[in-house]
Amino acid sequence: MQGIAQTTQASTPYGHATLQALIDAAKPGDTVLVPAGVYVGPIQIDKPLTLEGRLWPVIQGDGQGNVVAITAPNVTLRGFVVRGSGTSLDREDSAIRASAPNSVLENNRIEDALFGIYLERAADSIVRGNTIYGMELPLSRRGDGLKIFYSPRTLVEGNVMRNTRDAILWYSPDSPVRGNDFADGRYGLHLMQSDRHVIEENILRNNSVGVYVMYGSGFELRRNLIINNRGPSGYGVGLKEANDVLLEGNRILSNRVGVYSDGSPLRPGSTVTYRNNLFAYNEIGLEMLPNTERNRFHDNIFLDNGQQVTVAGGGDLLRNEWAMDGRGNYWSDYAGFDADGDAIGDLPYAAKSLYDTLTGVYPELRLFQLSPAVDALDLAAKAFPLFAPQPRLSDPAPLMQPPALPPTPGLEPAPTTANLIVALVMVAAALFIVWAGRRGPGGRRYVNVGKTHRATARS
Amino acid sequence: MNITVIWTLAQKELRDALRNRWFLLYTAAFVGLSLALSYMSLAGAGIAGFAGFGRTAAGLINLVLLIIPLMALTVGAQSLAHEQEQGTLAYLLAQPVTRAEVFAGKYLGLAMSLLASVGLGFGIAGVVLAISDGAGSPAAYVGLMGRTYLLSLAMLSVGVLVSAMSKRGGVAIGGGLFLWLTFVFLGDLGLMGTALTMRLSVGQLLWLSLLNPLQVFKMAAILDINATLDLLGPAGIYAMQEYGQRLRIIFLALMAAWIVLPALAAYARFQMRGDF
Repeated sequence: MQGIAQTTQASTPYGHATLQALIDAAKPGDTVLVPAGVYVGPIQIDKPLTLEGRLWPVIQGDGQGNVVAITAPNVTLRGFVVRGSGTSLDREDSAIRASAPNSVLENNRIEDALFGIYLERAADSIVRGNTIYGMELPLSRRGDGLKIFYSPRTLVEGNVMRNTRDAILWYSPDSPVRGNDFADGRYGLHLMQSDRHVIEENILRNNSVGVYVMYGSGFELRRNLIINNRGPSGYGVGLKEANDVLLEGNRILSNRVGVYSDGSPLRPGSTVTYRNNLFAYNEIGLEMLPNTERNRFHDNIFLDNGQQVTVAGGGDLLRNEWAMDGRGNYWSDYAGFDADGDAIGDLPYAAKSLYDTLTGVYPELRLFQLSPAVDALDLAAKAFPLFAPQPRLSDPAPLMQPPALPPTPGLEPAPTTANLIVALVMVAAALFIVWAGRRGPGGRRYVNVGKTHRATARS
Repeated sequence: MNITVIWTLAQKELRDALRNRWFLLYTAAFVGLSLALSYMSLAGAGIAGFAGFGRTAAGLINLVLLIIPLMALTVGAQSLAHEQEQGTLAYLLAQPVTRAEVFAGKYLGLAMSLLASVGLGFGIAGVVLAISDGAGSPAAYVGLMGRTYLLSLAMLSVGVLVSAMSKRGGVAIGGGLFLWLTFVFLGDLGLMGTALTMRLSVGQLLWLSLLNPLQVFKMAAILDINATLDLLGPAGIYAMQEYGQRLRIIFLALMAAWIVLPALAAYARFQMRGDF
C-alpha cells in the first residue's frame, strides 16, 4: 500500500472500541492523535503507524492476554496509559508486546501489568521515558517489567520501574541502558548472554540484585547509583562469567554485597577493571570466588564496609592487580603512613583479619559481626602471629586520600532538622533528669536520707 | 508501697549516682567516644554524599556493647553491697520504710541515672551528626537509643542481683566485672569455638547466642536499622526466614526477661537476707 502519510485527529472523545477501528482505518505511515478517554483493549497494531496519546488516553485491557500487541515494524506508541494485562506467567501476558523491529515505545505509563513492556525479536527499538508499575503480587508470581529478547541495538533510556520482577535483556547485544530508575524488584537489571552494553547513570534501588551480568562480554557500567539491594542473595552488582567488564564511577552503597564476582573474567586474555568506584556501607564490599584472576582495581574507594573484601569459601585473590601505574585504592581501614608525602601509603594494604578469613570458610560466624569479641580475636591474631592468616589480597600502593568521584544521580540529603530536634530532645531529657535529681520534693534540698524520709512521711 | 517514699529514695539514689566518680567517668567516656565516632564516620559521609548512618549506627552498637554493660553492671553491683558495707543501708532500713520501697526506690533512681547518661551520649553525638548531615532517619536513632536503654536496664538488674548476693562491695564489683567479661568477650568467643568444633546448625547457633542479652540487643538494633539481618550472614537470614517480623517480639520478650527476672531474684534475695 502506498498511501500518503497523514495525521488523523480522532474526533470521538469517548470512542469505546474505536481505537482499533482508528488503527484499522489508518494508512501505513500515518500519525494518529488519540484524545483523552478510556479505550477498550486488547489492541493490535499490524501496520507502521505513529499513535500519539493526547492528555493520557487509557487503553484498558480485559485482564486476559496482552493489552497492546505490535506486530508490524516501525510502530511508535507514545503518551498512553496502558493497564490490565492478564496474569499468566506461561503466556507472559504483557501490557505492551512488540514483536517487530524499529518499535518506539515512549512516555507511556503502564499500570497493573504482569509483564510491562516485552520486546521479542524487535531489533533497533527504543524504550524511553516509560513508567512501569507491576501488579501487587508476591515476587514469585510477578512478571518482568521490561523484557527485551533477541532485540539487538535497542535503546533503554529514562524509564522508571517499580514492583515488578526483572528488567531483563536477553540475547540483545549492543543495547545501551541509560538513565533508568528501577526499584523494588528482583533483578534491577539482568543481562543474559548478551554482549557489548553500556550501562550508564541508572539508579538501581531496593532490589534483590542491582545489576546481574551473566555470560557475555564487553560491559561498561558507569556512574550508576546502586543502593540498598538486599535479601538472601542480594548483590549490588553480580558478575557471572562476564568478560571484558569496566566498572567506572559507580556508587555502590549499602547493599548486602557490593559486587559479587563469580568466574569473571572467564575467557583467557580478558579482564575486569574497577576504576574510581565507591564501595561504601555494604555488609560486604566485594565478594569473589577463590582463584579469581585478572581483575584490576585502582582509584576505588572502599569505605566502611562491614567487611571490605571477602573470598567466598576461603583462599586468596593475589592473582589480581590491586594497583595500576603506582596507584592503588583508598581503604578506610588502612593503618599505614605516608612518610615521603607522595599521597601513596608507604606500607601495602593487606587484608588479613583472622575473623574475615574465618567467616570466608564458616559464613555462619558472621552472626558475631559487630561483637567486641571479634575485635579481641583480631587483636589476638595480630599479637600472636602464629594465628595470623595469610593475606587475601595486597594493595601495594594504597591511596592516603579518597580520589574524587564523578557525580551520580539520585542521592537524597539527610533530614537534618528532624535529626537535630531529636538529638536536642535527648540532651534536654538527660539534663532534666539530672536537674530533677538535684532538687528534692517541694524544691527543698535534703542533707541526708533519714531526714528525707521523715519529711515525706509527715507530709 | 508508698509512691512518695519510693520517689524520695529514687531521688536520693540519683543524687548519689551524680556524685559517684565511676559513674561520671563512664558517662564521660561514653559521650566522648560516641562523639569521636560520629566525627569519624562524618569523614565518610562527605565522600559518599550519602547518609552513612548505617556505619555510624554500627559503630555506636559496637561502643554500646562495650561500655553500657560495664557502666550498668558496676553501678548495679555497687548499689546494695556498697551501702551495706558503709552502714547506710542498715540506717535506712531502721526507718519506717519497707524493704520493697527501698529496693524499688534504689532501682528507679539508678534507672533514671542510666537514662540520663544514655540520653546525653546519644543526644550530643546526634547533634553533631545532624548538623553535618551525617545522620539517617531520626526514628531509627531514637529506636537505637531505646534499645540501648533497655540493655542498660538488663545489665543493671544483673548488677543489682550480684550486689544482693555479695557480702562486700569489693566482691560485688569483682563479680560484676567478671560478668561483663563473660557477656562481652568470653561468651561470644566460647560460642564461636563451640560452633566450629561441634558444627552447630545455624538455628542452634542463633538460639545459643540469644542467651546473651548483648547479642539480643545487637540483633534487635540491626533489625531496626537495616530492616533485615543480612549483615549476620546465614544465621541472620535463617532468623529472618524462620521468624520474620516476629523477631521483634522475640527480642523484646528476651530483653524484658533479662530486665525483670534478675531484678526479681535480687529483690527476693534482698528480702531474705538477715545481715542487711
